[in-house]
Amino acid sequence: MTRSTPTNTGEEHEHRQRPLQISLIKRLFGFTKLHARKRNWLLLITATHACQVPALSWAIAATIAGPINNKQLDEIILSAAGVTILAIITYVSWHFRMRLGLELGEAVVHDLRGHIFAHLQRMSMHFYDKTKLGRIISRITSDCEALRMGVQEVLVISLVQTGRMLIAAAIMLWYDWILFMVVLTMAPGLWLISQFFRGRLSHTWRNVQESFSRVTAALAESVNGIRVTQGFVRQDRNAEQFRDLVQNHSDHHLHAAQLTGVFLPLLEWNSQFFISILLLLGGYQVLAGGMLANADPNAQFESLVVFFFMVNLFFGPITVIGKQYNMALTAMAGAERVFALLDTKPQQLDRPDAILIPTIRGQVEFANACFAYEPETQVLTDINFVAKPGQTIAMVGPTGSGKSTIIKLISKFYLPTSGQILIDGNDLHQIRSPSYVRQLGIVLQQNFLFTGTVYDNIRVGKISATDDEVRDAARRLDCLDLIQSLPAGFNTEVGEAGGNLSLGQRQLICFCRAMLADPRILILDEATSSVDTMTEARIQRALAVLLSDRTSFVVAHRMSTIRHANEVLVLNEGKIVERGTHSHLLTADGLYANLYRQFIQTTDM
Amino acid sequence: MLKLAWQFKTAAVVLIVMQATLVAMALSGLGLTGLGIDVIRHHVQPDSTSPPHWPFGLAPPSDWPVLSMVAVLSGVVFVIATLRFGLDRAATIWKAKLVQSIIVHLRAQVYDKMQRLSFRFFDANESGSIINRVTTDVQSVRLFVDGVLVEGCMMALSLTFCLALMFKIHPWLTFWCLLTTPLLCMLTIVFSRIVRPAYQRSRQLFDTAVLVLSENVQGVHVVKGFGRQADQIRRFSQANYAYSQQQKWIFWRLAMFVPVINFLPQINIIVLLIYGGWLMIQGEISFGTGLVVFAGVLEQFSMQVGSIANITNSVQRSITGAQRVFEILDEPLEICSPPHAVAMPHARGRVRFESVSFEYNQQESPILSDINFEAEPGSTVALLGTTGAGKTTLLSLIPRFYDPQKGSILIDDQDVRNYNLDDLRHNIGVVFQESFLFSHTVAQNIAFGHPAASREQIESAAKIAAAHEFICKLPNGYDTPLSESGGNLSGGQRQRLAIARAILLEPPILLLDDPTASIDPETEEEILQAMTQAMDGRTTLIVAHRLSTLRRAKQVIVLESGRIVQHGTHDQLLQSQGHYQRAASLQIADDESKRLLGILRPVTKGSP
Repeated sequence: MTRSTPTNTGEEHEHRQRPLQISLIKRLFGFTKLHARKRNWLLLITATHACQVPALSWAIAATIAGPINNKQLDEIILSAAGVTILAIITYVSWHFRMRLGLELGEAVVHDLRGHIFAHLQRMSMHFYDKTKLGRIISRITSDCEALRMGVQEVLVISLVQTGRMLIAAAIMLWYDWILFMVVLTMAPGLWLISQFFRGRLSHTWRNVQESFSRVTAALAESVNGIRVTQGFVRQDRNAEQFRDLVQNHSDHHLHAAQLTGVFLPLLEWNSQFFISILLLLGGYQVLAGGMLANADPNAQFESLVVFFFMVNLFFGPITVIGKQYNMALTAMAGAERVFALLDTKPQQLDRPDAILIPTIRGQVEFANACFAYEPETQVLTDINFVAKPGQTIAMVGPTGSGKSTIIKLISKFYLPTSGQILIDGNDLHQIRSPSYVRQLGIVLQQNFLFTGTVYDNIRVGKISATDDEVRDAARRLDCLDLIQSLPAGFNTEVGEAGGNLSLGQRQLICFCRAMLADPRILILDEATSSVDTMTEARIQRALAVLLSDRTSFVVAHRMSTIRHANEVLVLNEGKIVERGTHSHLLTADGLYANLYRQFIQTTDM
Repeated sequence: MLKLAWQFKTAAVVLIVMQATLVAMALSGLGLTGLGIDVIRHHVQPDSTSPPHWPFGLAPPSDWPVLSMVAVLSGVVFVIATLRFGLDRAATIWKAKLVQSIIVHLRAQVYDKMQRLSFRFFDANESGSIINRVTTDVQSVRLFVDGVLVEGCMMALSLTFCLALMFKIHPWLTFWCLLTTPLLCMLTIVFSRIVRPAYQRSRQLFDTAVLVLSENVQGVHVVKGFGRQADQIRRFSQANYAYSQQQKWIFWRLAMFVPVINFLPQINIIVLLIYGGWLMIQGEISFGTGLVVFAGVLEQFSMQVGSIANITNSVQRSITGAQRVFEILDEPLEICSPPHAVAMPHARGRVRFESVSFEYNQQESPILSDINFEAEPGSTVALLGTTGAGKTTLLSLIPRFYDPQKGSILIDDQDVRNYNLDDLRHNIGVVFQESFLFSHTVAQNIAFGHPAASREQIESAAKIAAAHEFICKLPNGYDTPLSESGGNLSGGQRQRLAIARAILLEPPILLLDDPTASIDPETEEEILQAMTQAMDGRTTLIVAHRLSTLRRAKQVIVLESGRIVQHGTHDQLLQSQGHYQRAASLQIADDESKRLLGILRPVTKGSP
């Protein structure tokens, strides 16, 4: 099979974080438009909630510093009632803030996932040739998750935390601006410490994850290759290697612990340090009468107590916002990748004025068709042939000669780079893909089954088919008994990618799938290669009948299967080098005759 | 699991002592701050307040200026904080070391055990779930050590210390302020019970959505070939929607729970304000060491109570995880060497099946029934049959990947179950249908069964397997690393490496399970040559479909539904009507074609 060499597009390094970009933020914000009501309420509630939290702390502090300190019982009860009401309001608004935030995040990500999937369905085969599965999956998993965080955490939490910090600052400023200045000087230090450690930590955690994925990879390999390991008695050596990997992973863990062992205690130490400063400085101010000559020591004392309560409201957000900032950078990287994918234009396989063809007769014509996966390397050159309705065309040639590419062009996975493919005289480019593809039946060498039952998989060929129709398709292929002998017959779960079935069984199901579609054009690309000889013999006989009224294209290595084709195309290096019937080609004694001779030598007795 | 923790008891005790010291330090820092406030307050309002309450009778001389008392206090707070910083750091690292050594120990043990389990175990468990056990479930044992044992001790310690301190300040105040605590505990536990299964469900739903996506990428040619895009988009949006709805359900509850759980401590504070305020007016407690410290301790207390939910959660999760881990460790070894095993340095290679019957489990019909045949040393037996006839199973009985329920398999007239298992397997070379290669270098893969093999040995094995030539063309020759499961090689190349791997040990018995099955038919030729060379001089059992191979075999056995239906030489079977003749006729070139090629002289029809 010819395959374009993998290009670098899929291999490039993915950024984990990207700087904030207004255009991306705007676009992401655009996704909240559909949920505008939710979003507006969220912003409103978040803003009020940001004020309520420091207000509550202040009310408690003021009650302690004021009425309690001054021993006024009436005032205490009055203040306590105030605190209670404020607390209830705060926590009710917290509920709505949280719920709306989470829901908005999920709503946006839900929409994005849907968009991504729908967009992927429109992408051409070229895209899938170049992009790795893991990359595509991470678009809807980790990248979307980063975006969710961006919406529900960064947006909401930063707003709340900033508000909290500002209001705490205002209250402290109002009570004692000198003391507040001291508090303020410590803020940058705290920010730097937290950013420094967070950078180092996230690096270390990445090492932890990478070493863990090495452990999992080794483990997966061991489990998948267990039959080989036991067959070759390799257990001890593997165990040794595994232990090394686990130890390495554990070392990274220890390194992370060493960092957190400094970071978190340092934050704690920092706040203790601050309290001792506050005690010393506040005490000095109270006792020495403050820097303002007329300061009342009682008022000074009151502000000291308020400070004790408010100061964490001021410092807390610094580390939290640091964390949010990093999350925002990660979300940016995610957004960049997701939008880059959504912006990749799918190649248009249909012309805008493409027509519908409800039933085709099945004439397929290649007129000077050329094709290249990559501009430099021509895979097919000037292919010309006509398959009349009901004819069987066989293709033969060495590996890489372009047989599979012709099959893919007929399937309209790609359009020819030049020349035309005509179906019943209409350019394939001018036919609407869905109406055409519905009349195709394809069985490839590499077969893919979807998770589900055998029934489900055969029905891919025709969704509306009844159980009887499915059985009938199997019967016509003379493999009904083979499918019925599966553990649960047609209701057997095939497993992920058909893993519960053998290669041959998978291929049988694909045959049934193509048969059920009752196609006008049938494509068999090494369709029986994985089926055992005994089963193949049965299918071959059944096929002879089934092929009769359809145009069919057969690529087969076992020469005996193509003997009855109306025309055999012999391909070499992307060109048709010989053509004719089987006997005609044998008489001509060219490449085909040579291939056939080889075949006879390996199989004949 | 506790037994496991017991192995590390000394380290654990040290950790607990460290943590207790840390809690004590944190609370004394808080107490001293309160004391400082009292000292200042007493100075500001000397008449209305009682003198500050110094702990442990450590009152400084009364002639000290107030300012230096405050300075000393703040100094002590600072020193304690610094000491605590050092100790906290040490404790974090100590804890990590303890937990890690337990985990490394356990992982290695589970892995080693897993490798020795029989094929039956791997058939019964999906590979994903086995991988999960060794990774996530061992992780949950770690959660138990970390999240339950250590955190639990921490919580118990600080709750005790906090309670003691609060009681010391005022017992009744403590009682009234902690009135909501039982409610808090109950709520958190109830909540985690409700939400945990919901999260699991949500995880499953998400996996379903991801599966739909990955299938659509892998099977893109099917989706496009059958024009199924619209159905698939519908399928995905259903999965996507189901996940979203589940998330919404969780969010609603989460948004109820979190504010409520945070609101309860606020009630405590309000109680403190009223009752504590009243007590202070009565002069029963002091302002700083009493009220302010109490507020601080209360905050710590509710933080700890809040983590109860985490711990109960961890208990549940880690216990199910640990159960599954220990399930593996306790799994009996089904297939192992018998107590007085017979050593087998080098077998002659006579293989005999005596009325062998086998079934994977009792419910299903037998896979093999009453199999009898004998292979002479150095001869070839070919197996032929439809998909699922039992060919692969028959081969796997010889190296004891499974043991038959009835009958026995004899090598050199000795039951395979009597041999030392490692010896037995060393004497048998196996090539599987789809060969699994490891992500080592080419040389390491060939030397898989004998890592100490010399380069000469590896190369000569590669030459027999017709692999030497292509290996030399690889970027680094024999030292070229293979990507995951040999992805950078073609199917034919992979199988030739597998053949080289099988014959490196010069095994007298060779099992070839249809090595060309998953191969592009065009490259089949490459392997056929390798196989022919490898079979030379070895007793070979081969699953084959190619006439050229079948013809060369001394005996051909045709299996159907686990029974031998035809048995004989190629020529004999070709003469008798049956499966074999039908299959063979498909491969034999017709006379007409031969005539055209001038290979066959016309016998029955046509003129030259």
